[in-house]
Parts: sequence; C-alpha cells; structure tokens
Amino acid sequence: MANHVAAEATPPAACLNQLKKQVLDAGLCVACGACVGLCPHIIFYDGRVAAPDDCGLSQGRCLDLCPQAPEPAQESKRRALHAQAGQTPAPPLGPHAGIWQARAASPDLAGRAQYGGVASALLALALEEGLIGEAVVTRGGQRGAPQGALVRDRAGVLAAAGSIYAAGGSLLALNQALAQETGPKLGLVGLPCQVLAAAAMKAHPSYPAAARRLGLVIGLFCTWNLPARGLRALLAAEGLQGPVKKYDIPPPPAQVFLVETEKETREIPLAKVREHTLAGCALCPDLTAELADVSIGAAEGRPGWNTLIARSAQGESLVKSALERGLLILETPPAESLDHLRAAAAAKRARAAQAWKER
Amino acid sequence: MADLSKLMPGETVLLQGNEALARGALEAGVAFCAAYPGNPSSEILESLADSAAGAGIYAEWSVNEKVALESAAAAAYTGLRAMASMKQNGVNVAQDFICNLTISGSGPGGLVLITCDDPSGISSTNEQDARFIARLADLPLLEPATPAEAMAMIKFAFELSEEIQNLVVLRSLSRLSHTRAGIVPGPLPQTRPKPYWDPKVNHATMPVVPLHAKMHEKLARAGRLMAAAGFNSYEGPQKPELLIIASGSSVLYAAEALQLLKAEDKAGILKLGATWPLPEELILDHLAKCGRVLFAEEVDPFLENEIKALYAQNAGRLGAKAFFGKATGHLAAIGENTPGRLAAAMARILGLEWRTVDEAYAKRSAELLAKLVPPREFGFCPGCPHRASYWAIKQTLAVDGRQGLVSGDIGCYTLGVLPTGFRRVNSVHCMGSGLGISNGLGQLGRFGFDQPVVSVVGDSTFYHSALPALVNARWNQSDYVLCVLDNSATAMTGFQPHPGTGRTATGQPGKQVAVESVCQALGLPYAIVDPYDLAATQEALYDALQQGGGVRVLIFRRLCALVQGRQGGHPYRMRVDAEACRGENCGCNRFCSRVFRCPGLTFDQAGGAAVIDEVTCVGCGVCAQICPAGAILAEPRKEAAA
Repeated sequence: MANHVAAEATPPAACLNQLKKQVLDAGLCVACGACVGLCPHIIFYDGRVAAPDDCGLSQGRCLDLCPQAPEPAQESKRRALHAQAGQTPAPPLGPHAGIWQARAASPDLAGRAQYGGVASALLALALEEGLIGEAVVTRGGQRGAPQGALVRDRAGVLAAAGSIYAAGGSLLALNQALAQETGPKLGLVGLPCQVLAAAAMKAHPSYPAAARRLGLVIGLFCTWNLPARGLRALLAAEGLQGPVKKYDIPPPPAQVFLVETEKETREIPLAKVREHTLAGCALCPDLTAELADVSIGAAEGRPGWNTLIARSAQGESLVKSALERGLLILETPPAESLDHLRAAAAAKRARAAQAWKER
Repeated sequence: MADLSKLMPGETVLLQGNEALARGALEAGVAFCAAYPGNPSSEILESLADSAAGAGIYAEWSVNEKVALESAAAAAYTGLRAMASMKQNGVNVAQDFICNLTISGSGPGGLVLITCDDPSGISSTNEQDARFIARLADLPLLEPATPAEAMAMIKFAFELSEEIQNLVVLRSLSRLSHTRAGIVPGPLPQTRPKPYWDPKVNHATMPVVPLHAKMHEKLARAGRLMAAAGFNSYEGPQKPELLIIASGSSVLYAAEALQLLKAEDKAGILKLGATWPLPEELILDHLAKCGRVLFAEEVDPFLENEIKALYAQNAGRLGAKAFFGKATGHLAAIGENTPGRLAAAMARILGLEWRTVDEAYAKRSAELLAKLVPPREFGFCPGCPHRASYWAIKQTLAVDGRQGLVSGDIGCYTLGVLPTGFRRVNSVHCMGSGLGISNGLGQLGRFGFDQPVVSVVGDSTFYHSALPALVNARWNQSDYVLCVLDNSATAMTGFQPHPGTGRTATGQPGKQVAVESVCQALGLPYAIVDPYDLAATQEALYDALQQGGGVRVLIFRRLCALVQGRQGGHPYRMRVDAEACRGENCGCNRFCSRVFRCPGLTFDQAGGAAVIDEVTCVGCGVCAQICPAGAILAEPRKEAAA
C-alpha cells in the first residue's frame, strides 16, 4: 500500500530538467531558439541558450519542440511530422514537388543575397501577396551575434539577406510573435533544425497559435553551424577586425571558409573552422530542411545561383507565382548536380546516424 | 546609541551588556577606542562614538580589527587608556599583532581588547572561541557573567594592564553583550594624562628571548592580582556531590539549572571570572572537596582541558576524580549552552529525573506554532540590491555557459549561498578571502582550468582586507572579475560608516576613499553599474567575463534598501496588473515569487495571481523587469525621492 502511494506521488520528470540533461548539459544544443521565449526560465544571450533555474513543471513544450532531443529518435520524429503534413519522408532530399536551379530576376536581390537571392525574393513575395503578414528572419544583432527579427516588408527582408554562419536562436522571435494567439500569418526562414522545430510547433497540441498562424516555412540548406562566440573567436584568432560583409563556403574541393570584410577577403581552412562548430550539428541528419514548404541552398558549381526545392503545395504555388511575375529565373538542374546534392544529403544522414549511435 | 557620558552616577539605568562595557570604559578613563563592526560587538564602539563628544574621548571605526588594536596600542604607549573591541573573527585578524605586542609590552597606558564571541554562530560565519588568544599570547583573560560584572571587570582590566604593562583580554558572549540589566553608573574621571612617548623608550620585540621570559613573568604577576580581585567565587554546599566550574553566561545557566533540578543542596558552582592564568589554588581547593566535576563554558573546553591538566599535575595528592563536560559528551561540543542542556547533564551525573517538557505538550505546541508562524528563510530584504546583483550574476553565468564560479565574502551578500541569492556563491570563508580564492583560481588557466571566476565583495569588506589580495591579483595578473557589491553601507552590522561613505564613527566628515579611486590607482579596468538595471548589469558582467586577462572590476553601486528607505524611500509604487498576470496558467510556475523570491512579492492562492505585499514592498522596481507577461508595473511614486 505504502509503495503504491509512493509510486502515485512521484511526479513526472520536469521537462526543463530533461531538456537540460539531454540537450543543454549534453552539449547538443544548436541554439535554434525553439525552447526560448515560451517561459522566463530559458534564456538566450550572445548565441547561447541557458536555463539557470528549475521550472518545476512537467508539461512544458520546451523538450517537445527541441529538434535535438534524443527522444523520440530523429527519424521517427520526422516521419511522424511528415505524415501529419500528409507527405512521405522521401529520403535523401525529402518530399519535393520540383527542384530547380534558380536566381532572383531583380538585381538588387541577387546582388545582396548569399547566392541567387531566391529566399529573399520568395519571402518578399509572400509578404506582398499577403500569404503571410510577418516573417521571422535571422540577422546580425548585438555583438554581431545573429538573432531573430520580425520583418513585415521587402525592405526588412533585404536588410536580413545573406548568410551569417552562426546560430541565432531566432525561433525566440517566432515564439514571441506566437505569444499573440491571433494575428497575421507568420513566415519563417530557418535552418533545418529550426524547420524541424517549426513543424513540431505546428503539430503540438499545446501550441494552437503555431498551428493557426505559422503560414510559410522557407528552409535553408545547412551542413553545420557555428556558435556566435565560436565564430567571434575564430575571427579573432585570424586577426580579422571590423564588420564582416559576407561569409561563404565555396563548393568542394576548396575546403575553405571565406570571410569578406571591408578591407579584405580571407580564406580560413575548414579544418580550423570545424574546431569551433556546434557539436550538436553532427547529430543532425537534415541537409535540405526537409520539413519546409520550400528549401533553398547554394547551387554547387554555379556562383550566383540557388538550388530551390518546392515541397508542399503551398511552396509549389509560391514558386509558380514568383515565376509568373517574373521574379525568379528557374532552370532544370543538370543531372550530376542533383546527384551531388543527393549524395551530400545521404552522407549527412549517414554521419548523423553514426553520431547518434556513438553517443 | 545613547550618549553614555550623560548618565547620572548612582542612578540605576537599564543598559545593554555592550553599553555597560562602554560606560565602564568611560568610567575607567579610556581616551582612545577603536573597533571594526561585527555582531555581537558593534554596540560597544557605537556607544563610545556617540559618547565621544560628551566624554571628550576619541572613537573610531577602523578599517579592520588589526588596525584598530594597533592604533589603540599606540595611544597606550603615550600613557592614555585605550581599547579595541571586536567579534571573535576580529581576534584572528589582529592575531599577528597581538602575538608580537605581548612580547614588546603595552606601555604605561592601560590597553584592553574586548572580544565578543558568538556561540552557535548566530550572526557569524563560524563558531569560534577567541579565548585561545589568551593562552597563545600569555594574556590575562577576564570573563564577565553579567552586565554589572562586565562594567566592573573592564575597570579592573585597565588597572591590571597598567600594572603588568601588557594587553588584557575581556571576553563577552552574544547573550551578555545583548542582554539588558539595571546598572548603577559610577562617576566619570575629571582628568586624563597628557599623552607623551619618551623617545628614549622603545616598544619593540627585541631582544626576543629575554622579552619572552618577561612576558611569562607578567602573566604570573597578573594571576596573583586577578586572584585577589574578587571575580572568582563559590556558591554551594561545603562538600558538594558535584562541583560545577563555570564561566561567562554559563554561570547563570548553571544556577538556573540547579534551581530547575532543585539540586542546590547537592551541587555547587565555582564561578570563574578571572580565568587565565587559571586561579590554581582556588581550583585545587575545590577539587579536593569533591569527586565529580562538570565544566560549563562556551564554546571550546578551555577551562575543562586546562583544569584537567592542572589536576593531572596534582593527581597524586587529590586522588581519583571524575570529570564531565564536552569530552564525555555530557555537554555538546558545539552550540550555545542553555539551562536545559546543563540541567540534563547535571541530572545524568547525579542520577536525577529530568524532563524539560511533556512530549505530547511539545508536539502540540510545535504544531500550533507552525500555524502561527509563517515559514521563513534567511533572505535579502525587500528591494535589496544584492538580490538584483545575484540575479544578474546567475543569469549571466548561465548564458556564459562555462560553469563559472563565484567566490563569496563576508556581509549581507554572504546569503548568496542560500536560495535568496539563488545559491550563486560557491565559497565563503573570512573577510577578504573571496579575493584570495579568486586570485588562486585566476592563475589556473595554465593548467587547463577554463571556468570563469567571479569574486563578490562588499564595500566595507573591500577596505577591511580585500586590498592586499587585489594588489596581488593586479601584480600577478590573476584572471577574474571582481564585483564590488557597493551598497554604501556596512549593512550587516548596522550601517556603520566606512571609508567609502566618507563619514567617521562620530558622524564627522572624513576623507572619502571611493572604490573607483582605488581601482584607478591600481590601474585596474573598472565600470560602475546599477544592479537595479538588470539588463545593463548582465551585459556589463557578460562583457567582463568574455574579456579575460587580469583582474577587471565591476562596481555594482546601489544604496542599501534600508538606508534608501530612511532617506525618503524608493521611486516606485509597485502593482500587479491582475488581468495581465497569467497566474498558474503562465507556464512560469510563479517565477516572480518562487524564483526571484522578494518578500514584497507573493502569490495570492485565492486570487490565483501574483500580488505585491504593499506593507513589505519598498518599490525598487526590479521585479517589473523579470515578469514574462509584463504584469508587474512600476508606477512612479509622487512623493518619492529619485
């Protein structure tokens, strides 16, 4: 009898404690920001997520939304979310209605953006068409560390264009926006981890605002990311000063990280960069943000062009609309380029599966 | 405190033990008094400072106890009567000087050291018996039991010091220092000598060995004078079944315990007031009359061990004896004595029935009390800047993420080890030692130690003993962030002024020594932040943590909330917007009242929302910055000071 009572009285494990144990303290956090902004216990500063206190609750969303949580396993979590969206996982590139090499027709976009300006063009179009009213993007913030920002128009989109190569916790801004139960549809431009988290938000029974308001998710290809402080340490070690205009990783076999400042362009060997990358990124199987509406990355071997994958019906119709308005130039990718992408995506999956096994 | 020079001789007045000591010193013609504050000793110098103008004496809060005693010794060398008062920890600080002073001797003016010990460490970071210093340094030791005796003893102490030309130690205890009793003041002296130090006379410790011999002679002579002073007495049957040897407050506890046991006919109390050197003849006389001895003293078995050693020397003559006390477990080796503890020990030895209280009654009264008394923990006051400071430290070290450490120090902010300071302090020892700990940690990078190090120190402690460690850290380039929690007050001990406040003990202006001026002089990078501004404080600390390379200082400057309260109060009237507060549905799980823990902010169970306790809240505005729903509002108070 006494045992029975004791068993009943044992509270379920507090979710924040599990998040701390399984992700934060385990060094798996990739600072996507999915858990930040839901409650005051989880804080984000200079590219790091931390939870100084115990929340004492067991029904929070933080652990459920975390793309890095070891349970349930990545593959089954992704399968379930694909199923919920009515699509099949279709490895290695994920569900897709169309794949192109693309670039923005407008020179102001193509010139400012990382590669072909496709993400900026599609986001600006979605805002202009009213598909979404606001969008969460990532841009440089305090100390040069990136952070999430809410943009409402083309100017805002342009200000955030370009890759930053540091984790910005920008889902914090999404959670903050979703704290309003009602409001305009929201868009998100995010990395694969953030796209996974966004899908989890939409599917979470305790996050109705996400299901209701999260309208368009644009995913960006990603191999690994740096913590804000790691990027800063890397630049400091290289003696690079002043604001950085652009970062880039040219396609293999270059094996370098390009950093362009006002004064110079520096090539840093990737081996050196990898000393600073987020450990958690090694466990991510997703190269192309498979749970997004559209996914965009560099077109290998073709400077100034993107690879564009339309996945959902909504994503496909946005691309179509952009094409009709003459905003995008689309081309069918060469077969070997697609083979390359498939091989890279499969390799990331394999590396992640191995990394999970080794943990 | 009151101006004790205004008391009417011969008219009974209610005085605190510490006031009795101060008045006794005035009646003895003390001219120079110095101290560093520390419970339970603080009121001695406070009384003397407030009496300084009336009595024509000099009283100062010194920067620490060593400086206090050194300064008093200087006055004694010129023929003035002088004293230094401190708590038990202060004796440790002054110890090096004491152990040399006893060799050089103290000169023509009487010199008295008062140590107020704190059994059970009620307001201390340790539980320590400072009587060790008497044995260590061959100094006469007086242990009064009551305020009246304290007053009589301090007068005797000055005379004794002048007779033997050495320091005399008077030991008080928390209960004696803070009890109140009717006291009949005597007259104050009308004259005092003009201070003069004959340059042909040296007070130095050389030649060491002959002076060491002289030191022993002085103590022996002191013993003879003390034996005749009437502070030791016996009360009880001629041939008791049990002899209780007691000193200090334990004398009264022992008498009360005998009454409780109705055993006054069985046991007698040998009350020792002049305890070191031991009054050997008196003790041996009484040992000869009784086979069983119980020692009643606080904190260490000082008399117990010394008297057992004395007995061993005379055992052949005295025959077998049974000794009871801390060594046998009849009395606890830790904590204060109480009449109950002593009665239990006596009953056990004498085979008497002893039960303090009926068990059922004790249980019932505990239950009733629990209903009447809300559960309370040690905590910072409402609006205390330290709460905000530790909040910033906690948040910042968390986002820094390198498992930063905080070495603490002595003051209100020592409570940082408790939930009120979010348990964000990793070490606490003695005054100034936080900087020493950080100094050591800050050199370990070379061995691969990669945790950032923060030292917190209060403003008064900064001047007391942090300076050498800080100079050392600057010199040797130790890598840590020093946070001076500057609330512009010695708050823990009762708001005594310190070098940073610029005022002196008597309320006169002195020359202010600002923390930042010290930093400037040492060439230390520093910034001043307002801990009430959480975001700015966190940012400044974060930056300092990232910098690395040598000590850098952040001065967290915000006046103690209690002092601010006296100076016109805080700027805000706080209010919880009950509409905006999401209560138990927030998901924060009472972040404000459960984690931030300001007593001015509670959770209204019935209303299901956070609520400001208007009686307790002072209106600092800090909690408004932490509510995730923005439900706590800080509205400017019309009548408030900025």
